[in-house]
Amino acid sequence: MFLRPLAVHRTKHRLFHDLRTYKEDPRWPGWQVIIGIETHAQIKSRRKLFSDSFTSTPDDTPNTNVSAFDAAFPGTLPKTNSKAVDLALRTSLALRCKINARSSFDRKHYFYSDLTSGYQITQQYSPLARDGELSLHSLDSPITVRIKQIQLEQDTAKSTFDSRGSRSQIDLNRAGTGLMEIVSEPDMRSPEEAGAYVRALQSILRAMGSSDGNMEQGSLRCDVNVSVNRKGDPPGTRCEIKNLNSVRFMMAAISKMSCLQTFSLKLINQPAHEIKRQKEFLISNPGSSVPQETRGFNEDTFETFRLRSKEDAPDYRYMPDPNLGTLALSQSRIDEIRNNMPPLPWELRSKILDKYPSLKDKEQSLDVLLNVDNGREVGFDGEDGAGAVEYFERLCQAPKRDPIVILNWMTHELLGQLAARKQSFYQNSLTSEQLGELVDLLQDKIITGTSGKYLLRHMLDNPSSKSPKEIAAELQLVAIASSSGTSKASDAGSSPSSELEILCKAAISELPSEVAAFRAGNKNVLNKILGHVMKKSRGRANAKEVRHIVEKLALGDNHNGDL
Amino acid sequence: MRINVIRKCSRRPLQSLSYSTRVQHREIIAAKNPSINAFVNVSQPPRDIPQDLPLSGLTVAVKDNIATSFLPTTCSSTMLKDFVSPFDATVVKILQRNGADIIGKTNCDEFGMGSLNIHSVHGPVKNPFNASKEGTTKDERAAGGSSGGSAAAVAAGMCDAALGTDTGGSVRLPASYCGVIGFKPSYGLVSRWGVVSYADSLDTVGLFANDIPTIQRVFDQIAVYDGLDPTSAPVEIREKAYSHSMERLTSQKTETSILEGLKIGIPQEYFPSEMASSIVEPIRKIIQALKSRGAEIVPVSLPSTSYALSSYYVLASAEASSNLARYDGIQYGKYVEPGPGVDLSKTAQVYAQTRTANFGQEVKKRILLGTYALSADAFGNYFLQAQRIRQLVKDDFNAVFSIPNYFTDMPGSVKDGVDVLIHPSAIRTAPRLAESEDEKSSLDSYVQDVLTVPASLAGLAALSVPVVETTNKEGAQALPIGVSVVGQWGTDDLVLSVGRAVAAIQPLV
Repeated sequence: MFLRPLAVHRTKHRLFHDLRTYKEDPRWPGWQVIIGIETHAQIKSRRKLFSDSFTSTPDDTPNTNVSAFDAAFPGTLPKTNSKAVDLALRTSLALRCKINARSSFDRKHYFYSDLTSGYQITQQYSPLARDGELSLHSLDSPITVRIKQIQLEQDTAKSTFDSRGSRSQIDLNRAGTGLMEIVSEPDMRSPEEAGAYVRALQSILRAMGSSDGNMEQGSLRCDVNVSVNRKGDPPGTRCEIKNLNSVRFMMAAISKMSCLQTFSLKLINQPAHEIKRQKEFLISNPGSSVPQETRGFNEDTFETFRLRSKEDAPDYRYMPDPNLGTLALSQSRIDEIRNNMPPLPWELRSKILDKYPSLKDKEQSLDVLLNVDNGREVGFDGEDGAGAVEYFERLCQAPKRDPIVILNWMTHELLGQLAARKQSFYQNSLTSEQLGELVDLLQDKIITGTSGKYLLRHMLDNPSSKSPKEIAAELQLVAIASSSGTSKASDAGSSPSSELEILCKAAISELPSEVAAFRAGNKNVLNKILGHVMKKSRGRANAKEVRHIVEKLALGDNHNGDL
Repeated sequence: MRINVIRKCSRRPLQSLSYSTRVQHREIIAAKNPSINAFVNVSQPPRDIPQDLPLSGLTVAVKDNIATSFLPTTCSSTMLKDFVSPFDATVVKILQRNGADIIGKTNCDEFGMGSLNIHSVHGPVKNPFNASKEGTTKDERAAGGSSGGSAAAVAAGMCDAALGTDTGGSVRLPASYCGVIGFKPSYGLVSRWGVVSYADSLDTVGLFANDIPTIQRVFDQIAVYDGLDPTSAPVEIREKAYSHSMERLTSQKTETSILEGLKIGIPQEYFPSEMASSIVEPIRKIIQALKSRGAEIVPVSLPSTSYALSSYYVLASAEASSNLARYDGIQYGKYVEPGPGVDLSKTAQVYAQTRTANFGQEVKKRILLGTYALSADAFGNYFLQAQRIRQLVKDDFNAVFSIPNYFTDMPGSVKDGVDVLIHPSAIRTAPRLAESEDEKSSLDSYVQDVLTVPASLAGLAALSVPVVETTNKEGAQALPIGVSVVGQWGTDDLVLSVGRAVAAIQPLV
């Protein structure tokens, strides 16, 4: 989040070494778009980066989680929260960075009402980690984006402008929260690649438990650098888009920027009269949006923080922080973090496939499960919040259950029902023991599939600690078994075998014309008879058995004396 | 000053010896402070203090840049004129917990910046040595700074001990000028939590008293690890340095004369041309006396000394410009409404109003100097260069001491060096307040710190002990001067022991 003088940009561009080969984009043929992204991810530590006060959510009452240090009271000193550092280290390792054994903290100075001490503690001279990479598998032609560096820094307070009262309001809850600034190299060439990068980063942050990675809520913020050049030319002037709050908007903004930049660069290269014509066009069309947006390329007016201190030269007077000094990380600490890292999303996938090979045919459902798992509520300080995969594994383990059945029930039934209730997996009230027993009841044919789905809905609507078996009995969902069927449901009291046959007999006598048609060879009409029986049984009957009995009864085996 | 409080208290019956001491000190303050201006706020005498605590009965004054929740902490600045901290500094807590009576807050240079204690919203501190009751007279002397109020309070008998802060000599210089003992412990031994930052990498809580045992008594309590201070030295390192220095102390010396066989280095660079002749002679006598009592006197060289002052002013000013950024009228300090002519489209103009009005001249000077040193163009030539010099100064010290510096990443090995260094504390005696007024705007006053700054840059233990002469040439009582004992990091007890010996060989004949 630092701005260098324009001259430095140019020097940097001259040294630019492009690792990507040019690929024509139909949206701006003949032009190349170069994108680099700086992300600020709020560290999901319970406490702030340098103070003991708790981190906050946007819902917390303003100015409730504030210590004397956060408010920059004279005489206060910072104290590094090692848990926040550990989470940043996890993230750095997940992004395959080289960890700096001796990084340091620096102060970045500027005056603004949301910066209590007049400086932000960051890592300007020696960041926590460097030289990582992130592979984007989701793209049609996957690419690898290099990570330049990851540094720790403090978040600022939050200021909101109350236009009616014409005053700024400051909320210090956010002041001093730990941020990871993750800087990519300019390795992306399209809005789609930029979108894939941010999504992949989000999934890594969540998998590591190091950040919620939520752009809408501001726990992940992206600054995008876009430059446009003609094919074969060095990169153009870099423009920065700040404070984007969704991946979709970011991609749209990059597209817009790219179009505008190619447009303005074309303008410059036009003959003089063409520029004049364009000018006249703009003057005669005062309502047009073009002049406004073209002016947006002016670095003086485009960058948000320039609004903050436009009049001052943006010299942040970086100074090594005299209190914090060196952040020394022992190899043993790094090793310990490496050995206890939660698996990355793709590692988790292959781990599950290794463990449950039968799921190879169910990759789509598995991806649904993994996505839900990645979106789980991230616990504080890297504590693992129970996710969908853990739930799945608990279901599969004891007693041993068929992973395919479990996966189907989780992704199709449970998640479907939760989605219908607009609930996240985190809000699921059904314990893995309950769902496991429910599936067992089904597998053992104690309840039917229809009853099982009904039971699930009922249990989600009426959360309780009762077992599904109890509830099934209460609701009279226990399956009606045929005479030859297993008699596991004998506790239902009456003779179930006779109950099913009585239902079938009743159907035959209630639907004489259909039975006649069936006897005459119309096979389709059987379904109507079956449906009638199923309806009467309120879903408790097994369709196969009903079919068997009805066929037997209708097709003349009714001389059986024991009826 | 809360005179009414003092009067009310002094009428209460005397209940115990310590109670009477406490009241006596408050009476002395009431009598003398109007002419000395050492205290800016005095506390109510505590009602019940347990008698058996390590510091029971001791009255301690606290410099006004150390946070207290029961008295304002103004840092002698308009900016914090009405500021009361919501918490107590760790040192203040420790003192109170151990039975000390925090008698009041003392005057100082604004935010600790100054060598004469003349840059204060509360007015200058007058050296008790020549203070007169009626206004400023021609012969009145400065107390030295920046902890001038603390030094003067001890010198005038207003309290038993006083806390100051020493960033480049702010304890040792006023101690020397006022004729009291001033001790700057090694950096990192005493917690800085609650000490209003001037230059964090140099700021050290220091002590004043009239005798070494009192200094030792307070130091033993406050020199403990504090988790709230990220620069607080870990216990293992403290113990290493302590046991090493005690080894030196007990291996060859007897209880009666620690000077026997003690190796004392005299740094040749510490007698610059600016030094007054009235300083050199008494220091020479001290060295002679130490030698005659068995100490081995070794001339040593600290070649980077001449660059230390420049390095100090760049680093201290740079850190000050950073630390004082929070006083902007929005976070802290009285907000000054921009006038009608001010261009409000520029945010900086809003801050400039408050900062221009509420900072004193010296503070503004150093903020400007420090801001420049950190600017992109100057950073390499000033800040980084000053840091390199600081390292050279540290290397110089590490090369002469027999004990390695345990406060660095790579402490050197034990070698055949000196145990302590001895040199004059200042190049002169206390200047006249009248002449110091003229120095307000000049850089000449910075030269006074030339002998104290190197130990600050290196974070060493340094003690100024008054040199008492029976008579001087004119037969009148001479102005106080001080001699400094400097020891390797963490050898504070060794330094205090040598200081005790230096005090014991006086008065000089």
